[in-house]
Amino acid sequence: MLASLSKWFARFGPFLGLALVISIFALLSDFPEQYLSFRNFRIVLAQTVIVALGSIGMTMIIISGGIDLSVGSSIALTSVVAALSLQQGIPPSVAVLLGIVVGAFVGYINGLAITRLHVVPFIATLGMLGIARGAAKWLAGEQTVNPAETWVNQLAVTFPDPAWLLVAPGVWISVFLALLMALVLRNTVFGRRVFALGSNEAAARACGIPTQRVKLWIYTLAGLFFGLAGVIQMSRLRQGDPTVAIGTELDVIAAVVIGGGSLSGGEGSILGSMIGALIMAFLRNGCQQMGWPNYIQEIIIGAIIVVAVAIDRWRSSR
Amino acid sequence: MNKILSFLLLFFVLWTSSRCSNSGSLSEGYRIAVIPKGTTHSFWKTIHAGAVKAEREFIDQGIKVAMTWKGPIREDDREQQIQVVEGFLSQGMDGIVLAPLDDRALVRPVQEALGAGIPTVIIDSALASDAIVSFVATDNVRGGELAAEHMGKLLEGRGKVLLLRYQEGSASTRNREQGFLRKLKSDFPEIELVSSGQYAGPTRDTAKRASENLLNRYGQQLQGIFCVNESATVGMLLALQDIDRAGKVVFIGFDSNEILIEAIRTQQLQGVVVQNPFRMGYLGVKTMVEHLLGRSIEKRIDTGVIMVTPERLDEPEIQTLLYPPLEQYLE
Repeated sequence: MLASLSKWFARFGPFLGLALVISIFALLSDFPEQYLSFRNFRIVLAQTVIVALGSIGMTMIIISGGIDLSVGSSIALTSVVAALSLQQGIPPSVAVLLGIVVGAFVGYINGLAITRLHVVPFIATLGMLGIARGAAKWLAGEQTVNPAETWVNQLAVTFPDPAWLLVAPGVWISVFLALLMALVLRNTVFGRRVFALGSNEAAARACGIPTQRVKLWIYTLAGLFFGLAGVIQMSRLRQGDPTVAIGTELDVIAAVVIGGGSLSGGEGSILGSMIGALIMAFLRNGCQQMGWPNYIQEIIIGAIIVVAVAIDRWRSSR
Repeated sequence: MNKILSFLLLFFVLWTSSRCSNSGSLSEGYRIAVIPKGTTHSFWKTIHAGAVKAEREFIDQGIKVAMTWKGPIREDDREQQIQVVEGFLSQGMDGIVLAPLDDRALVRPVQEALGAGIPTVIIDSALASDAIVSFVATDNVRGGELAAEHMGKLLEGRGKVLLLRYQEGSASTRNREQGFLRKLKSDFPEIELVSSGQYAGPTRDTAKRASENLLNRYGQQLQGIFCVNESATVGMLLALQDIDRAGKVVFIGFDSNEILIEAIRTQQLQGVVVQNPFRMGYLGVKTMVEHLLGRSIEKRIDTGVIMVTPERLDEPEIQTLLYPPLEQYLE
C-alpha cells in the first residue's frame, strides 16, 4: 500500500506541485479571475517555451549522468545566427534551420571534448559557456542584430494569428517535441541506452553499449533543442541578442531537477521536466501578480528546488 | 504525506510574505505599473521616488491612483523585462510606464499591451515604436555634447581622450556617446580619440575590469576620459584610484552617487552630467494619468541635463538634484 502510494507520488508529484502552486496563488490573489484567466495562461505558456525546449535536451543529458552549462550561451549564439541569416536575406525556413544546426554543432563539440579529450562534462561545457557567448558577441559585432519582420517572429507571439491556434506556435512545437522525445526515451534502443549509461556507465560498457558514441549523440541531439530554443528567443525579442539568456542553463537544470531528474544519472522524465519548467514560470508570474518584490521570488524558487530534491531523496531512500 | 507537509510549509511562506507586502489593491481608480531597467542603482530609486510623488499628488487631488513598481528579476535582461510587461498585461493594469532595456525587443509586448487596451508611456530610453503615449526622457544627445564641451574647455582643445561606452543595445547611452563624439569632432578637431569602441558592461565590476584593461593599454598617454553612465563612471574611478592616476586626468562622468560626489569634491572627477531622474519618474506617472484622464499631452517631454563641476557643487539647485528627497517618498 505504502509502496504503491510512493510510486504514485513519484509519477504525479510534479503535477501535484504545479496544481498547488496555481491554486495557492489563485487563493492569495485579490483578482483570482485574472490569475486564472486564459489570457494569463497563454502568457505563461509562451514564456515557458525557451526553458521547456532547453529542458527536453537537458533531461536527456542529465539522465545519461552528464550536465550542460552552455545552454544559455548556445541560445544566444543561435539567436544571433538566425537573426544574421535573416538579415542576409536568407529564406526564413533556412535561417531557422541554420540556427538549429549551429546548436547541434555546439553540442557535437561538447560531445567530442567529453568523449575524445576525456574532459568531464561540467568542465567541457563550462568552457563552451564562454566560447559560445564570445562567438555570439563576435558574430553580432558586439551589438544586437535586428532583421526585418518575417514569419519567424510569429513563433513566440503571445496572441497568435490565426486565433484558432489558441497559444503561441512555439508552445505547440514544444508539446510535440516533448511527446516525441518522451517516446524515444521510453521505447527506443537509444533511449534505453541513455538510461543504462546514467545508471552505471561501466556496466553499460560491459554489456556492449558503445558508450562514447551514445554520449556524442546525446549532446548533439540536445544541441538541436538548444538551437531551437535560441530561434524562439530570437522570435520573442525580434532580434538576435548576444547578451541574452545569461544563466538560463540554471533555470533549465532546475526544471529537470524539480521534475524528478537526478544529477547522478539514471533518473528523470521529459514530462516531469516540462512540469518543472511550468512550476517556475507560474511561480514567477504569480509572485509578480501579487506585487511581491523580486527577492521573494528568488528565495521561493531556490527553496522549491531544494525541497523538491529533498523529498525525492527521502522517498527513494526508503 | 510528506509532500503535502512541505507544500503547507510553502503555503505558510507565501502567506507570511503576502502579509508583509502591502500590495495596494484599490478597487477603483487608475492602476499604473512602473517598470524600470533594474532596481539596485540609485538612479532607479530616484525615479521610484518621483513616481511616488506623482501618485500622492493625484491622491491629494482626489484622483485615485495606485502605482506598482517592478523591475526585471535579472537586471539588464531583455527577456526578463518582457516577462514583467506581460505579467502586468494579464493583470489588467490601466497604464504602463516603462524604461525599455532595448529599443526593439520591447516593441512587441508594448504593442500587445496597447492591443489589450493598456497604453504605455516610455521613460529614460527610446522605444522604436509609435504605439506609445509619450516619451519622457533626458535629451541624451545634449548630455553627451555637454560633456564634450566641458572636456574640450578643460583640455584647451587638444589631447588624447578615451570614451568608455556602456552596453550594447542601450539607446540612451548610445545617444550620449554619439552626442559626445560628434561635438568633440566638430568643435575640437585637435583632440584625438584613442579608444571609443569598448563597453563597460552592466555592473561596476565589469566596468572596473574594462577600465583596468584600457588604462593598462592607454593609461600613460591619456589626458581625458568620458564614461557614459553611473556604473561605468564608478568602475573607471576605482580603476584610476588603484593605479594612483585619479585627479591626474580630465575625467568626466555621467549620473551621480555618493562616491562620485566625493570624487568631484576631491577633484578626482572634473564633472558629471546629471539628469533629473526624480522629474522623470514624476512626469512619467503624471503624463500617464493625465492621458487616462483624457487631457492633452506632449509626445516628447525633455527632463533636462546639467553639468556638475567642483565649483558648482554646493549650489542649492545642484544639491537637490544630487540629493533627491528619497526618504520622504520611499519607506
